[in-house]
Amino acid sequence: MFYRRLIAGVLLCAHLPLLAGCSFGTASEGESELKVLRAPMQTDGPKSLDPVRSSSVYDHHCGCNIYEPLLQYKYLITPPTLEPLLLAEMPEVLEEGRIFRFKLKPGVRFHDDPCFPDGKGRELNSHDVFYSWKRMADSRNLPKSWWLVENTIKGFDEYRKEQNAAADLDGAFDYDAPVEGMRIINNREFELELNESVPTFIYKLAMYQLAIVPREAVEMYGDRFGRHPVGTGPFLLSEEEDWQPGLSMVLNANPNYHTSYYPEEHMPEDVAEGLTRAAGKRLPIVDRVEIGFYVEDQPRWLEFRSGSVDYITVPAEYIPTAFNKRTKTLKAEYRRQGVRSAKVPLLDFIFRGFNMEDELLGGYTPEKVALRKAICAAMDWEEQNDAFYNGINIVYDGMIPPDLDGYPKGGVAPNSYRGPNLQLARQLLAEAGYPEGKGLPPIEFYTSRGGNNQEQVEMLARQLGKINVELKPHLVDFSTLIASVDNKKAPMFAFAWGSDYPDAENNLALFYGPNESPGSNHYNYKRKEYDKLYEKARVMEPSPERTAIYEKMRDMVYQDAAFAGSMARTRYYLWNPRLKNFKPSEDFFNWFKYLDVDDDARQKS
Amino acid sequence: MWAYSIRRLLYNVPVFLGILLFVMGALRVNDPIYGFLGKNASEEEYKAFQEKAGLDKPFWLQYAIFVKGVITFDFSTESWDQPGLSVGERLRRAIGPSLSITIPALILSTAVSVVVGLVSAYFRGQGLDRTLVFIAVLGMSISFLVYIILGQYFGAYVPNRYFNREVFSIHGYDGWSQLNLPVDWAYYCLLPVVISVVVSMGYDTRYYRAVMVEETGRDYMITAQAKGASKPKVMFVHMLKNAMIPIITRVAITLPFLITGSILLETYFGIPGMGQTLISAVNAKDFPVVQAFTAVFAALYILTNILTDVLYALVDPRIRLA
Repeated sequence: MFYRRLIAGVLLCAHLPLLAGCSFGTASEGESELKVLRAPMQTDGPKSLDPVRSSSVYDHHCGCNIYEPLLQYKYLITPPTLEPLLLAEMPEVLEEGRIFRFKLKPGVRFHDDPCFPDGKGRELNSHDVFYSWKRMADSRNLPKSWWLVENTIKGFDEYRKEQNAAADLDGAFDYDAPVEGMRIINNREFELELNESVPTFIYKLAMYQLAIVPREAVEMYGDRFGRHPVGTGPFLLSEEEDWQPGLSMVLNANPNYHTSYYPEEHMPEDVAEGLTRAAGKRLPIVDRVEIGFYVEDQPRWLEFRSGSVDYITVPAEYIPTAFNKRTKTLKAEYRRQGVRSAKVPLLDFIFRGFNMEDELLGGYTPEKVALRKAICAAMDWEEQNDAFYNGINIVYDGMIPPDLDGYPKGGVAPNSYRGPNLQLARQLLAEAGYPEGKGLPPIEFYTSRGGNNQEQVEMLARQLGKINVELKPHLVDFSTLIASVDNKKAPMFAFAWGSDYPDAENNLALFYGPNESPGSNHYNYKRKEYDKLYEKARVMEPSPERTAIYEKMRDMVYQDAAFAGSMARTRYYLWNPRLKNFKPSEDFFNWFKYLDVDDDARQKS
Repeated sequence: MWAYSIRRLLYNVPVFLGILLFVMGALRVNDPIYGFLGKNASEEEYKAFQEKAGLDKPFWLQYAIFVKGVITFDFSTESWDQPGLSVGERLRRAIGPSLSITIPALILSTAVSVVVGLVSAYFRGQGLDRTLVFIAVLGMSISFLVYIILGQYFGAYVPNRYFNREVFSIHGYDGWSQLNLPVDWAYYCLLPVVISVVVSMGYDTRYYRAVMVEETGRDYMITAQAKGASKPKVMFVHMLKNAMIPIITRVAITLPFLITGSILLETYFGIPGMGQTLISAVNAKDFPVVQAFTAVFAALYILTNILTDVLYALVDPRIRLA
């Protein structure tokens, strides 16, 4: 084998035209027995695998196959529904939702690692859970997501303050110090007390940032812990060298993974899709996952088409190649090759925000509202969608993304003023005191440089120009954009928000008065009535009553025109016939363990 | 020669320190911490990060610490974008993959371009010369990106997809320790090298042709011919030797860029080299990596300039180092 390849290599170097006869496949023969899933990611790689330091979707995507939180989403069920992962059962909810009681699943062990005695991973216990969460409070860990638990768990904020102050003085952050709301019952049971009932808190228990890590590994690897993960997940990073930033990451199946099976519970349509055939199989199914990191779209696409990777999220520029333009259905050529597709909407809120405290654009008087609505009515989101996203995004009214409670029917809010409606825009402009745009100073618009933002700004300027509104764009680097918004200096700005969990509360919090800049309420939207409704809805269980409140809040902000929008991205997934059991989701990413590969299917195709 | 080299080195110390000062200042014009932490960072997180990164210290102290690090080759500062990896580790890991492309590309493109330049000069004004110049100008007129996109498509994808021949890797690289040289090197690196050579040949050929043409008018050429040397001998022995100064100049200018790699080639072919590391660091606002990279590049540039002057004296006895 080697000599054949060597001769081929020499021939190749000596005489390039001969290369059509050569083949340099790199998989060794012993490895061909393994079931290897080949997953591409559109990134130069994750930044850190430490759950508390992770921030990007790619950190989550890689890390959640190594680490596990207490809960997970059911793989085949929509809408997203939680189920126990490291727990024996769903947490018991007591005291009207203020107290959660947990029981850990028996037999969950950490990966084998030199940080444990004899290198054998020990069993997970209640102390590990609280230790992992307390790491979020330690500022020296540079946690990215403290906001997830801030002002939520009884005594946790005080603990954080005290321990960080102590750490500043003598460098000691005491992880053994008690937190009032964290109570250990025994090695497998523990209780959590919240300041008040927050139904959405349960979603946070499924988030990667709250995954469980062993103290031994954190203490042994110190600053390198983010590159040397030790979790309970279905896959493990055997060697640090298995992760090459900018290139790839190789995860091997965890031989000691706690007993878990491919789910029986499914949606009716899953049977025809063949997603139920693996029901009852022990997880994980594949032996190895090879994750490739791709910065550019062409190599990712070519690798998919040559069968070197098993699935792909179709890059925007390849949508017309793979899908029929009008119907957005997969082209016959692809279907013949056994390629399959799925459309997955994202919980996105892409918008242009207004600073409600700005002298020109801010305020709640009818004239000010009319001015903002005029701008909104002049904007054409569909044109933007067609020009920059091949028309695959979803344009909607309000701040609640598709598929969540409170999303307006058909994406259209009552009394919608969505553009392009130039007649309405001109009328509103006149009501605002600027007939035909006369007397209106240029609108200062802040957005970040990069991508196609320059072109998007030009389109926006042209659209507003139709009603004689002049745009004064500021294309700045991201830090300047943040500073301008945080300091309330940006009258109009472009941002986007991806929901952290599938509940509209996450988006409605963006308009809650106390969250004003530099908090997440970048619009500095303040209405007492809205704040009261938010405080009421925040502690309510999902119900028609809560949905009605969500809708009322949505319409309140929409009619005040605190932002122009909105749009949600859609991902188009394609997968080769080799890949089995694939039901792509963007709500969670721990689905590698359910996937299977069939090399016979690849050869047939 | 040694005295000259040391003197030149000393002369360049203030230049180097000035470059570091400028770069450090420029990187701090916009707050790098805000840029890195993003819009949701709290004041507390900001302060913790500022302290950890050492950016809470006075500027002169930061400068002194950085200069000391550069002088002692201590790049142990943690990368912001890849916590757990030091800046030195990131650069060290990236140098090998970059060199595996840039060194062969430089050698091949120089050798081929010099030969083509010579041939072109030899047939000056004739059909072959015009054809070669036309090809060179055409090559220069096409964007590097087009070569990469087409090269990747036809060189790697088409043989794989339509002829079931995995000749070249579309995307990927194996570490040096695992490379089964030269076969695996050819699989991962030869296509990028070929693309790189094709791209640079347009520029290099034109340059070397001009050099050779200029040499053909020199007195020593006539003398050599008068003494009865054949035209090929005059061209390939006498003229080539005398044309070494511009060749050395051009090659020397390229040397620092061997380390920096090629951003486009590396990102398209998935080669985790210096180019990809740099662009990733710039995009991620990985301030320590960008700072260290600039220092390394500036030092290399200064060193290759000195080396070039020394080489001039070695190949041309008329030049004296003073």
